[in-house]
Amino acid sequence: MSTLLELHRGGDLAARYPLVPRLLAELGPDELAQAGALLARVPAAEVRRHHPTVPVVKVAITGHGTLSPLVAPLTAELARHGLVLDPVVSPFDSYVFDLTDPGSALYAAGADLVLCVLDPMIIIDELPVPWTLADLEKIVDEKVRLLTGLADRFQATSRGTLVLNTLPLPRLLAGQLVDYRSRAALGALWRRAATALLGLADDRPAVVVLDLDPILADGTAAHDPRLSVYAKAYLAPGLLAAYAREVGHLARLVAGQTRKCLVLDLDGTVWGGILGEDGPDGVEVADTYRGEAFRAFQKVARQLGSQGVLLAVVSKNDPEPVRRILAEHPGLTLRAEDFAGVTANWRPKHENLLETARRLNLGTSSLVFADDSPYERALVRRELPEIAVVDLDDEPASHVERLLADGWFNVREVTADDRARPSRYREDVARGDFLDTFDSIEDYLRELGVAVRLEAARASQAGRLSQLTLRTNQFNLTTRRLQPPAVQELLDDPAALVLAIHSADRFGDNGLVGAILARRDGLDGPDGAILRIDNFLLSCRVFSRGIEHACLAALLHHARDTGARQVLGTYAPTAKNGIVRDLYPRYGFTADPADPDAEAPGGAGGTTFRHDLNHIVAAPAHVALTTIFPGEHE
Amino acid sequence: MINSTEFAGLVRDELGLPLAEEELGSTFDELPGWDSVYLLRLLTVLERETGARVSLPDVLEARSLAEVYTLAVQA
Repeated sequence: MSTLLELHRGGDLAARYPLVPRLLAELGPDELAQAGALLARVPAAEVRRHHPTVPVVKVAITGHGTLSPLVAPLTAELARHGLVLDPVVSPFDSYVFDLTDPGSALYAAGADLVLCVLDPMIIIDELPVPWTLADLEKIVDEKVRLLTGLADRFQATSRGTLVLNTLPLPRLLAGQLVDYRSRAALGALWRRAATALLGLADDRPAVVVLDLDPILADGTAAHDPRLSVYAKAYLAPGLLAAYAREVGHLARLVAGQTRKCLVLDLDGTVWGGILGEDGPDGVEVADTYRGEAFRAFQKVARQLGSQGVLLAVVSKNDPEPVRRILAEHPGLTLRAEDFAGVTANWRPKHENLLETARRLNLGTSSLVFADDSPYERALVRRELPEIAVVDLDDEPASHVERLLADGWFNVREVTADDRARPSRYREDVARGDFLDTFDSIEDYLRELGVAVRLEAARASQAGRLSQLTLRTNQFNLTTRRLQPPAVQELLDDPAALVLAIHSADRFGDNGLVGAILARRDGLDGPDGAILRIDNFLLSCRVFSRGIEHACLAALLHHARDTGARQVLGTYAPTAKNGIVRDLYPRYGFTADPADPDAEAPGGAGGTTFRHDLNHIVAAPAHVALTTIFPGEHE
Repeated sequence: MINSTEFAGLVRDELGLPLAEEELGSTFDELPGWDSVYLLRLLTVLERETGARVSLPDVLEARSLAEVYTLAVQA
């Protein structure tokens, strides 16, 4: 919001309009309302002057009440999609004239979308005092007939699209009847009118009828008494904002923009837990409390898939376990055959999204990406702002609502071709490479503000350190599991070096996310003093941000500064830690087949690597690293 | 409670209306780009900022932003 305000104050909103969708993407309702007010001050023609190719959608607004409060939210909603609103607002209560007379200013404007905003006062205003159900029925029937005629006239007259909406049934009407039987009858006749209105779209291709009930059912108030009584603004601001969101998606269709592919993250999005850590039997896909929430989400994704939306996966995981769980897990609702593409590797997600779009022969602006990680979402928003990003979080019960909150995949009609589309795309799990290609996200990482503290661990951290050794499976070089007393023993051992890794970024403090366990061989052998890394661990939440690189560089410097002549490190392969197979060679270690400790009892076997401390790789510039080695003080 | 400088800031940043503090006393007719719809949004913003209820009928009868400001600080 602050960037948007700066642009507004500097008079630069029109000139910098292409930036606007990204600025609006993460705003909440209040800020979006404010943004709409600012953007509504910028004439469409001025944006067009700076950006001749930006799509302008002409929207005529007519109806019964005071409608100008709709302009700001509508401006914001169109701007979210990179569209510019060119609004034409009719005078108060002129919809009947506007839509009846083929020569009206409304028809003459030639709008792409004509919004006829209907509210319950079109009926309530005409009720006699006192009124009976028969009075109400007569008025309701008249209005349905009137609107049917207007829809017919529009269909015959305009090349645009007429948008009607159902009328909320307000308590201020139903509550006026004191007996239950009459109230029920009122509800029934009101719904008959709604049914008739909704039916207007059936055989009139130019007409769309928005059903407001689902919006109201989710808790949006239909009515603001003061605005209604004093300003004749009969639909409350929250409902206008939701209505504007719907119209935004219609405007996308007018501008020929459609989203065709839903790209899903896996861990925390499609199932609970982390496949690489918890294994296929440990992740929650179905029958637990949280599993049910994830299953509901999988069902809805499949439902979208059945209507022509391509589904794809971009996940930070090893490819083989992903291939296996999607092919074999009996509890999964979403299976391999539901996906047009599955990418599981450790490359930055925006690169994988580009690749996904390329393989499916789609533009990136056709993609919608859903992920529970704020890190990944912000990366994708930054690198590929044209991709729509769905903000999932750590509450899977809300995943479905969040996915459907925006009508990203709305179309005017689902065709047979749409339904057949997903079956035309079937692909194997794409292979990928290692985690450390952050060259392409260096700018993002700089903005992310990664701060790492590598410090001598304290006794109070023994519990957490033990937990890391017990639970971490992927970034775990030797998988030596340590119970808390074993960690405590290391902390008490003067020859042992126990370093805790803390990290934080602009999304918050990640806490104690990793550890390096090392040991000094005090003996001055023929090769000089040795620092031996017994294990190196990092939580999978913070992979691929240069944290391991920065810590390893700091450790090597520390080893050299304190008299070591070489550093040894072991990689002991397991089914889950393939991600760190090349960690040591990557940072200047060479394999040391002669290491006597490699097969020692208590060791995990594997390959030992040696660093001679002559050339220590520089730490990545984007990581702000603080180190406190034993004997140093804060 | 907000002062008149903050009030003018709200008008600029929440309504998007370019306005110097000295122009608060101008009647709405004298304000370029003024639209009565701004009063509805201004009411919402003022009530959010001050935490107090402002009378909408009185706001609708105001002839200048200075009068709206007076209503908001009296509330």
